[in-house]
Amino acid sequence: MEGWAGKILDIDLTSGSIETLPLDMEMARLFLGGRGLGARLLWDLVGPEVKPLDPENALIFTTGPITASSSQTSNRFNVSTKSPLTNTLLHANSGGWWGMQFKRTGYDAMIIRGKSETPVMISITEAGISIDDASDLWGKTVFETTEALGQDRNKRNVLCIGPAGENLVRIAAIMNDKERSLARGGAGAVMGSKNLKAIVVEGKEKNKPADKDQFKFMLYETGKLIKASPLTSQALPEFGTTVVMNVVNEIGALPTRNFQESQFEDAHKISGETITDTILVKNQACWACPITCTRITKTASGEEGEGPEFESAWAFGAQCGVGDLDAITEANFLCNDLGIDTISMGNTIGCAMEMAEKGFIDNDLRFGDATKFKELIRETAYREGLGDDLAEGSYRLAEKYGAPELSMTVKKLELPAYDPRGMQGQGLVYATSNRGACHETGNMLGPEVLSLPRLIDRFATQGKAGIVSVHQNSAAVIDSLVYCKFSAMAVAEEFFARTLTAVTGQLFTADDLMKVGERVWNLERLYNLREGFTSADDTLPDRLLNVPVAEGPSEGFVANLDPMLVEYYQFRGWDENGVPKPEKLEELGLAELVQPVM
Amino acid sequence: MIDQRLYEEFRDIGRDIFVTGMTSSHGGNMSVRVGDKIIIKRRGAQLGRLKRTDFVETSFKGKDSGIIRASTELIVHRAIYEKTSALAVVHAHPRTAIVLSLSRDEIIPIDNEGSYLLRKIPVVTVELASGSKEMAEKVSDALQGYKVIMQRGHGCFAVGQTLEEAYAWVSALEEVSDIILEHKLMGEEMIEYRKHSEGYKNW
Repeated sequence: MEGWAGKILDIDLTSGSIETLPLDMEMARLFLGGRGLGARLLWDLVGPEVKPLDPENALIFTTGPITASSSQTSNRFNVSTKSPLTNTLLHANSGGWWGMQFKRTGYDAMIIRGKSETPVMISITEAGISIDDASDLWGKTVFETTEALGQDRNKRNVLCIGPAGENLVRIAAIMNDKERSLARGGAGAVMGSKNLKAIVVEGKEKNKPADKDQFKFMLYETGKLIKASPLTSQALPEFGTTVVMNVVNEIGALPTRNFQESQFEDAHKISGETITDTILVKNQACWACPITCTRITKTASGEEGEGPEFESAWAFGAQCGVGDLDAITEANFLCNDLGIDTISMGNTIGCAMEMAEKGFIDNDLRFGDATKFKELIRETAYREGLGDDLAEGSYRLAEKYGAPELSMTVKKLELPAYDPRGMQGQGLVYATSNRGACHETGNMLGPEVLSLPRLIDRFATQGKAGIVSVHQNSAAVIDSLVYCKFSAMAVAEEFFARTLTAVTGQLFTADDLMKVGERVWNLERLYNLREGFTSADDTLPDRLLNVPVAEGPSEGFVANLDPMLVEYYQFRGWDENGVPKPEKLEELGLAELVQPVM
Repeated sequence: MIDQRLYEEFRDIGRDIFVTGMTSSHGGNMSVRVGDKIIIKRRGAQLGRLKRTDFVETSFKGKDSGIIRASTELIVHRAIYEKTSALAVVHAHPRTAIVLSLSRDEIIPIDNEGSYLLRKIPVVTVELASGSKEMAEKVSDALQGYKVIMQRGHGCFAVGQTLEEAYAWVSALEEVSDIILEHKLMGEEMIEYRKHSEGYKNW
């Protein structure tokens, strides 16, 4: 294959049928792969009449044209589905090895529909493709399942759900390669609803570049930039993603105690520096990645595993007022083993802590107390006690007990680790993200904090909508190719375009890619509009809009969303209700697609 | 209308471009995209002495009367915004780069920093200068693959997410060009120190 394999695996778990469909190459050029291709396939397959946990919902795994090419960070893959947490279109992606291995089986994507009557797993190996009984695996944890199925890093890779997915926990993740995750939005519950426990892949096919010389040159040039960037060559290898903990805290944008404050007094105890000094065993890298940001850590009690990443350390740390790094790390390990999204879990526990302190729930949970983390995470995975409410995510939990204003969510997805009152652009990213509050869909950490590509005023609003839109489009492209966002912090779109050109033999410019990103963003928007979402959903929690930060570098600021939102709709070519105008759809080649339904 | 922060960015960068000799008193122009509007320097305003009244807000695509006060190059700026993901455009007349553009179809840096930042700057030829449709088309086409390009014998156009970023490309271009010119004037053979540098030719 040169970029695309040209095939989609189509599996119906109700009938047991396994088919191979041709990949529409025009569709591939317009949406590339990964998140873009996933959105395009989901548009056709899952309409508004389908509920997320219905058998009719599809689980669509996609790779991109550069996946498995050996281009730096070309290991990632995507899953698209309708989210049981948000009811929006959901895309989530993960690194590790599984995505590369799946691509090597000779498929660009896999559509899984229907529902098996009993637990099953799917095997895709040289011996063939089969749907096999997995009754003996049902109930096992992620680590147990991964080991039982013979995970072998470069040869045989396991993707599975844990008990959380089996029990339809709305914040359940799909895990791959033991501790990597397709984390956000509850894709694990969709997999569980299909009685699908695991997918094992072994592949031998190569993604060989069409232009070998140009590909080698791009490998060299890209490597040079990754080595030259202090972020990718020093900060991430040395401290992991938690390298930004102290930085975000110092500027007053680290949400603390369920976003009641924006600086955490114990941030240094859970920072990248402290992780490196105390619990780090070694670095680890995903396939074909020179950055090595993964942390293998070991706590004082002897538990060892991957993590914590910045978002996880924040979620169980500052968000819960906890500065106990061992407790945070072990909570992270347990989420991985049971198959739960750490951001949503920690955020939801933080919400529950505030609800308990304010008397909305009868529980002795308190900020700063990490002793109940493991109990709560287990209860969530198995839907027991308070865990049955936590399993519904922060919004449904807070709404049930009469305090929806305490839920720090957008479109019912829990906010990550940046306070929009101290990073105005990030607030716009959260409010407009198509999968709900998410930093990965256009992270403004680069321009608003890290000077990437240039430092902009984090409190300013004029002109911010354009920068947010460009970052969102860029993120959509990276997620469609599929690259890692960290490589994009060292390498610009023109590198991706030239590498894609070398791999596929088809000419792509940087702006061709940015147009793909805009197309993907708009299609996702259309999907959500078709589901009944409106501009009223492009908002932030009331606390962030109306309660100024009390002290610190962001003192006095609220998230000034309204003027940015007006500018955002204008920039995107949408009307005042946030609906893409016909001429914009025409420009992006989406007009015919939506005509019958919009 | 333009806020204080954005005005100060225009003013300071305009001043820097003028004092570093990268435009004459009334030459060059800059713009940013805000929502569905463009904020662009007024025609005839001095780039090194921009006042708050020296800006015109005009539509991104459509027709409006703002055009009669806007920079002559508005048509080029519009085309760039339409065809690329640029959020800011800087047009200047860096002298050494203009000199090189008279005899080259591309400027390929020979210094390490310039190679790292730019790799190659294409040169486009336009028969009708200043604000022509031909210029708008050729310049905007070229900018789809590059952050800064030269118009032969005229000047450069650079794009970025902010004015500062676009200005950085202009500044880097002129430094690259100064080094090329001075090395050529020195007349000595260059010792190639960059692995795979032949690849920049095809960049």
